[in-house]
Amino acid sequence: MQNDKNKILQVKDLKTYFFTENGIVKAVDGVNFEVYQGETLGLVGESGCGKSITAFSIMRLLDYPGKTVGGQILFKSEDLLVKNEKQMRQIRGKDISMIFQEPMTSLNPVLTIGFQITEALEVHFKMEKTKARKRAIELLERVGIPIPEQRIYEYPHQLSGGMRQRAMIAMALSCDPVLLIADEPTTSLDVTIQAQILELMKLLLEQFSSSMIMITHDLGVIAEIADRIAVMYAGKIVEYADTRSIFYSPLHPYTFGLLTSIPRLDMDIEKLESIPGIVPDPLHFPEGCKFHPRCVFATEKCRKEEPPLAEIKKNHSVRCWHIEKVEQEAKKISFTGRLTTDG
Amino acid sequence: MNRIIRKLFSNTTSLIGLILLFIFVIIAIFAPYIAPPLFASDPYQIPRMSWDVQPQPPGFPISDDIRLIYDSLGQPIIRETAIFGTAQGGYDIFYGLIWGTRTAFRIGIITVTLSMFIGVVGGSIAAYFGGWIDELLMRITDIFLSIPFLVAAMVLTTILGRGLDKVMIALVAFGWMGYARVIRGSILCVKEEVYINAARALGVKDFNIIVRHLLPNTIFPVMVQASMNIGSMVITAAALSFLGVGAPLGYADWGQMVSFARNWIVGSPGNAGEYWYAVFFPAIFIVLFVLAWNLVGDTLRDILDPRLRGEL
Repeated sequence: MQNDKNKILQVKDLKTYFFTENGIVKAVDGVNFEVYQGETLGLVGESGCGKSITAFSIMRLLDYPGKTVGGQILFKSEDLLVKNEKQMRQIRGKDISMIFQEPMTSLNPVLTIGFQITEALEVHFKMEKTKARKRAIELLERVGIPIPEQRIYEYPHQLSGGMRQRAMIAMALSCDPVLLIADEPTTSLDVTIQAQILELMKLLLEQFSSSMIMITHDLGVIAEIADRIAVMYAGKIVEYADTRSIFYSPLHPYTFGLLTSIPRLDMDIEKLESIPGIVPDPLHFPEGCKFHPRCVFATEKCRKEEPPLAEIKKNHSVRCWHIEKVEQEAKKISFTGRLTTDG
Repeated sequence: MNRIIRKLFSNTTSLIGLILLFIFVIIAIFAPYIAPPLFASDPYQIPRMSWDVQPQPPGFPISDDIRLIYDSLGQPIIRETAIFGTAQGGYDIFYGLIWGTRTAFRIGIITVTLSMFIGVVGGSIAAYFGGWIDELLMRITDIFLSIPFLVAAMVLTTILGRGLDKVMIALVAFGWMGYARVIRGSILCVKEEVYINAARALGVKDFNIIVRHLLPNTIFPVMVQASMNIGSMVITAAALSFLGVGAPLGYADWGQMVSFARNWIVGSPGNAGEYWYAVFFPAIFIVLFVLAWNLVGDTLRDILDPRLRGEL
């Protein structure tokens, strides 16, 4: 499955900086990853690690003071970064579409659901109104919204959170995109609704044979839906591997920390582990490995030299000097429970 | 929208305003029947009832000189008396006010629509694109704002020459800045909403994002301001006419009617209120017209202000 031919998106050394009054914030600093046909890539990390900025960079939706200053974003072997605004507009919504975090705020309150779904169809396919409306009804039906012929005339406030997110998904899928970027699509929903939405997305991705980049901080969500995972920390990818490897044998202390801080049903743990410290100030990243102030394995070397993202095993890259220690530690705890109970 | 209309009709103040407006609309529409013009081709020319320099009181009959002219032209005399009296120069006040209602609506609606259009276009472009475009457009706005409105309008009208269209140009040229600022503020706020990014992520054009997504969310404060400004535009136009840079002589315009009364505000010694009708009738029309728009505008603001929502 993973050969260059069906590589849909390749992000090469992406650098997105914010030029603020206090200095340059390197929100995304040299990120590399690929997305293949039909697969889901999980982009995981804490708030402020640059995962949403990566998504916005791919869509080229960043506003001043944010700017992509380097790298390449190859979509179907064409670099999105050299395209002009008009060319980008033709790609947005048609080839690459996006689902946002808050279904409450990602639908325009003064426009009907139907209008918002048909808009993309009219923009990209010059579809006429009646035809577009038909398609909108069909899409709403596919995302499991009851009585869609009536719903298209309703406004967002008349729908529940789950329904709104379904409508968002219908909007994003309306033009049959090759790649779907989902920015924490389930974060603000109830847990039961979350599961429904994830099921739905999984099903639809298969039906539409689209690829997806799923951005989340929720490892439970990612375990359920992603084929491969890139863990981001402070604007860089620290671990990049398939889902199984990340969950069974994490090699970066940050990934390890994230996994141990998930509540477990299968084990009797009194106190939940947490990663000490906070995400570093993006204006003053620590020298050396950016994770060292919070890392239990940190040594003198970590403080001085930043480790490269090295491919340790086949398709498993890690940015750490102390992989062996993490591996040993990870072996002591089985993460399988998490995968089987939740995933 | 239904909610707004319902509130407008259920609220006493706005109801008074709406009724007043309704009366003015009726007057404007039926002007040819209420005060039939002498020449259908030029209905805005106020007919004279006499050649008197002094105003004449209500009920003043048409003078013999004028009667002769009508006869020689073969025109029937429609109004035997001037119901509200005549202004300086024998101009029929009643006729001037009735046809002046049309002028008032025209001035108010055209100037406000045009200046709102300019303001909204400028303000939304500035807010949406930001950066140097915003900087440039808003500094231009600031420059226009720094010139006193009435003085600027007067100077421009003087340069352009006499005439109602010139007055309107001057009013539009110096009346759009408020709208630009209001719309810019609202758009800056709404622009950050996720749904705007979502629309951009769907590949919607900038123009459509502004028109279809941003403006429906931001236009209401501007419309409130506009409805209140219709009144003040009419006042300013009247002021310009009063100062003598407005409508041409004899043109049916409330400002002109007031300006006719300028020398007769105080009557003869011992009888200060001698020419009261020359001031009173034009003034009451202007006051009621402006009041009507302000009442409606006020209620609109109350309805649309989320902080006051539910208190009405």
